[in-house]
Amino acid sequence: MTPSALIEEADLHALVDGELDPERRRKVEDHLLQHPEDAALVEGWRRQNAALRAAFEPVALEPPPLSLREAAARPPAPPVGQGPIETGAIHWGRPGAAPRPMRKLDEIRASRRRQALASTLLTLVAGAAVAVAALLFLASRPPTQSPTLTRAATSYAARAGLTYATYILDAHPVEIDAARRDELLVWLQERVGFARAPDLDGVGLRLLGGRIAPGVAAPAAFLIYQRDDGVRLGLYFERAEAVAAPSGQRGQGVTVIEWRASGFAFVLVGALPADAMQAAAEAAAAAVLAPPTETK
Amino acid sequence: MGRRADIIVGLGGATPALRRYARALCAGAGPAIADDLVQSALQSIGARIRSRELRPVDLAEARIETYATLVALAEKKLGNAPGPAARHPPIVHGLAGLAFDERAVLLLVSLEGFGYDAAARIVGASRETALAQLMRARMALGAEGLRPVAPLEGGRRAASHLRVVK
Repeated sequence: MTPSALIEEADLHALVDGELDPERRRKVEDHLLQHPEDAALVEGWRRQNAALRAAFEPVALEPPPLSLREAAARPPAPPVGQGPIETGAIHWGRPGAAPRPMRKLDEIRASRRRQALASTLLTLVAGAAVAVAALLFLASRPPTQSPTLTRAATSYAARAGLTYATYILDAHPVEIDAARRDELLVWLQERVGFARAPDLDGVGLRLLGGRIAPGVAAPAAFLIYQRDDGVRLGLYFERAEAVAAPSGQRGQGVTVIEWRASGFAFVLVGALPADAMQAAAEAAAAAVLAPPTETK
Repeated sequence: MGRRADIIVGLGGATPALRRYARALCAGAGPAIADDLVQSALQSIGARIRSRELRPVDLAEARIETYATLVALAEKKLGNAPGPAARHPPIVHGLAGLAFDERAVLLLVSLEGFGYDAAARIVGASRETALAQLMRARMALGAEGLRPVAPLEGGRRAASHLRVVK
């Protein structure tokens, strides 16, 4: 009996799911070299996994709705049908536990209304005091001391604008041109950690090539596309965990569109009309989320 | 006290993955049902940790317990849920055609990246049973959805996340 004969279907699944130790994995891979029908099964399951991730990964990238934020820290809602007894309904209590008379219930209701009114007024007064204090505090701060988050939200766009202004009209705008696309993608993967050059032919934009540029806190990728009439735009992306940095400059009449996907900040910069920029950005955003077509 | 509070806060970080799993587990039944399941699961786990009924040693264990709660809730709630619509991609129709247990295990392993032991614990089965369910699910899913599909609501989502800076 050859070692291949000892490989079971469960081993093939375990290979796909990373559940094999290195020695067993090598044996299964050897088996696949000699049994193309099993290799096809494994490939099919890997494609199933890829299809599932392509279909549902965008859900994980959406910001959760308000109802789910800090949901674990909130107590569960009480089950329906267990409301308080002072709703006016007749309470058929246990023997010996006489129902409260209606007069008592009215007193309870009136007391609770007074408490609710007092609580509402107190909340309004406290809220107004906090608002006034916050306004005074914010007014006393110099404008340069904007919150870090605000600066971080705009710094990628600023850096992308600076990169665009530096390279877009340069005689040598890209370091690796589109003819060496595979080499470019390997370079981006090594330096930036994300290798995707979206195909924007559908919106009339041809990839010229790309380069590595200084990012906010890490190397960034800068891809340049060109329309038939010679107008160019740039797609900038950088790992989004990067911290904020001082804002850069942006050129006049340039549209900058920013979005986040797959842990990266993407910025599209160009001097095309707003709808053309929007269409290009939507095409690029869809392309970076689509399953990769490039081989690693 | 601090550790329990840290775990409860840390579960918030698992919310995006829980939404992804719930959406796939519902197989086209609707995002509202999926998000309700996630909310109920998170609130239930949070309450059980606060009351010390559940004492996870770390966030990873709490995460597994949350998935287990979600699966249990989904099994009850999805009985009368609507199936996928025609606009859904083939992979969603393929998922809807699977038995609930098979779908639950397949998605835990293939989509969420859980190991066999963790997936078995989440669905309350032995490792062997979970592996058998996984194998049946993959065979039943077959060629459904193997062609690359556009992400669900991908175009609208991408557009809604674009922000014109200038």
